[in-house]
Amino acid sequence: MAADTTTDVTEGFGQVSRSVGRLFRALLLAATLFGIVFVTILLVYVANDAIQPLTADPGWHLTFFLTLVVPTLAAGAYVYRRDEEAFQTGVLAIGLVAVALMFSGGAAMIFVDIVKPLTWLAFLVALAVPSAVTLAVVAYDHRIPFAGQFVATVAAFYLSLFGVPGPLGAAAGLPAVAPGVFGLLAGVPVAPAPWLLVALTVGGPLAVVGGRVVGRDRGRRTQLLAGVGVFAVAAVGGVVGPALGVDPLPATVVTSVGLVPPVIYVANVAVNVPEERVGLLVPATVVGGVLVGAFAVDVLAFAGPQSWVDWAFLTSAHSNNADDAGFYPAIGGSILLMVTVAVFAFPVGVGAAVYLEEYAPDNRFTRAIDVNISNLAGVPSVVYGLLGLGLFVTYLGQSAGTVLLGGVTLGLLILPIVIISAREAIRSVPEEQRAASYGMGATKWQTVKNVVLPRSFSGILTGTILALGRAIGETAPLIMIGAPNVKYSLPTGISEAASAMPLQVYAWSSLYAGPDFYNKVVPAGVVVLVAVLLAMNSIAIVLRNKYQVGD
Amino acid sequence: MSGDSLEEALTRRTQNAPPELLSRSFFFVCAALSIATTIGLIVLLTTEAAKFFTFSAPLVGVTGETASVVEFLTGTNWAPTEGSFGVLSLVSATLMIMIGSSLIALPLGVGTAIYLSEYASPRLRGVLKPGLEILAGIPTVVYGFFAIIYITPALQPFVPGLGTFNILSACIVVGIMIIPMVASISEDAMSAVPEALRQAGYGMGATKFEVSTGIVVPASLSGIFSSFILALSRAIGETMAVTIAAGSTAQFLNVINPAAYTERALPMTAAMVKLVGGDVTGGGIAFQSVFAIGITLFVITLVMNVISDVVAQRYREEY
Repeated sequence: MAADTTTDVTEGFGQVSRSVGRLFRALLLAATLFGIVFVTILLVYVANDAIQPLTADPGWHLTFFLTLVVPTLAAGAYVYRRDEEAFQTGVLAIGLVAVALMFSGGAAMIFVDIVKPLTWLAFLVALAVPSAVTLAVVAYDHRIPFAGQFVATVAAFYLSLFGVPGPLGAAAGLPAVAPGVFGLLAGVPVAPAPWLLVALTVGGPLAVVGGRVVGRDRGRRTQLLAGVGVFAVAAVGGVVGPALGVDPLPATVVTSVGLVPPVIYVANVAVNVPEERVGLLVPATVVGGVLVGAFAVDVLAFAGPQSWVDWAFLTSAHSNNADDAGFYPAIGGSILLMVTVAVFAFPVGVGAAVYLEEYAPDNRFTRAIDVNISNLAGVPSVVYGLLGLGLFVTYLGQSAGTVLLGGVTLGLLILPIVIISAREAIRSVPEEQRAASYGMGATKWQTVKNVVLPRSFSGILTGTILALGRAIGETAPLIMIGAPNVKYSLPTGISEAASAMPLQVYAWSSLYAGPDFYNKVVPAGVVVLVAVLLAMNSIAIVLRNKYQVGD
Repeated sequence: MSGDSLEEALTRRTQNAPPELLSRSFFFVCAALSIATTIGLIVLLTTEAAKFFTFSAPLVGVTGETASVVEFLTGTNWAPTEGSFGVLSLVSATLMIMIGSSLIALPLGVGTAIYLSEYASPRLRGVLKPGLEILAGIPTVVYGFFAIIYITPALQPFVPGLGTFNILSACIVVGIMIIPMVASISEDAMSAVPEALRQAGYGMGATKFEVSTGIVVPASLSGIFSSFILALSRAIGETMAVTIAAGSTAQFLNVINPAAYTERALPMTAAMVKLVGGDVTGGGIAFQSVFAIGITLFVITLVMNVISDVVAQRYREEY
């Protein structure tokens, strides 16, 4: 009897066809991959147009295949099979090398053409002195009332940056009495070589950080030695550069911004994470392969590809002739815009997020801000451009297309994104930690400063980097505020008109439409722009993954 | 938002100390800046657009040349330099971009969302989601360039009468561009569907396909719908890709005629870029019309965002 029922039941279930489900799944996968594959193909096309790998000698390809591709694949496979974590560490190291070198190029541009190293040093010192004063004042917490501390801090910064009586006095018609620290230092007639200044101001702090990171489990002596080593790497550009025919200043910037961070990372893994040491095989083979390959190609006289993304393209200005046209002013403009946007949008966005998450009472005004921010995030970028044009150019009489104007307009554009992502990061700080802080008698501001912001910092940073990426890819607002299509020199300050990378690409593909520009210059510009954005996005994604794992 | 009474009791005594007051005011000013931005936008757009329109111009004390609001909203000929401002020809082009790109982005986006939320392994998701993010991170000017230099020439053998500038390739790139938006918002909605509902489906003998299409998608319909509206609003506001790919000749086209998609046209955003970027110089009524288009665009996208918000809030299934 039992057997009978069983057969009945199985017959009742019958057969289920799996083909529909399989087809559905395949369709979904196709839908998911469609956009990614489509854009990848387009990117390959544009990279092919820009770099033209097929114009190189077959021997060139063969050399690099033998010195770079084969060893890297072998090393990668070996490390991956041994330890997946170590493999990820190795890939990260290579990514860090690429990204750091790219950003060191931008930094070199700033130090060579926009901010003189002496001005930079003066600015740093002019900020450091009042900061020290502030710390000293705050240390006497109990003896000086808050109003006194506040006045002393503001006065110290004002005097240090502007001197006596400064712009306020000048506005009142007073003659200048004494320059501030900034004016004093920036006007010093005798100064060390510019490259030494950069090595000190950039390499010095990095050396301190690097020494701490690398020697964190060892004694003070190791830390000191590691720091000295890091500083030597930073300064080596200035010494070796001239011998290779490179100016010492850009060479120092490249070594201290582009070389030091990967060196610190690799040294840290090598010293402190012995189980992942094997992963360093990957960056070693890649870097070694590139160097050996380059040397071999040079010796064997194989010609490389006739890429449009070459040194001349990166360092010369626009030209009506496609063969001579370059990207330099646009890159510089984009860097300055990015700095301006970050300086404006980061504090304001984080401040708004802190207010909404930590302070705001649950009333109608708070809800209005809430709804308003999500609506602002949906306003088209071209309308923000109109805001910049109408408000700042027409009503406030600013001159059109300046870096400051572009930075504020783009800053307003990304503000909602920064606020939304910062709120998410702040919300993820566990409530217990706040409660513990309040329980120990901390005030609201102390809790925000010591618990909430440090805990959510990496999340906020991720969101801000993604938003900055959005800002430097934007074109329409810049056109609306009247940024120049064609600019032949770098802007030297934030009140000068500047072009930007996407704007230059647009100008080339509309004003100079023609096969010459379409096949040579525009693809090269697109490759540079996309490379910068991919670098920023990947930094953000890596940061986020690390931060999520750490939680 | 902290409504915690214990926390308030602990910090009440110190809340008016100078450092607290100073920091709180700073944070408040930051938050209020967003309201100021909105007010600035609305005031600016209305006053500048009013200078353009006849009927309200005397109210704000504007004299001189103005255009009629009725002609603006019902006219079909757009030629600002000749004093003819019919926004419908621009709206028709914008609508075509919206329809064409949604035909690509909506099915693909929802398919992506279902795959990511129901089928993909965590490992595959870890690769696909950053990939989609990068899709959204590529600048729109690059998409516009792709459309004009690769997609249009590739389509020309298959589509008769396709010009260098056409709406079709603009639709394709805008569609690709907004896939990540549809996918990520829909996927959030699908992930919020409780596991118990899926288990109940499996318990009834449903296959994975039936659970996905019969339980997960209906349960997250409000989220999917709000993602559609947001993506459409993004497509309407999209500027550079359509400016480069669709051309700069305004014409009033039949939105539902497929053959019209091979034509060149001037969407609203492209018209704004064209007006400011060199078409007309030195103010005047033609220049002022950019604010009239701007306010039209602002109102349309605002209404769509509000609708999407309401749909997501009101029609959400609560579990």
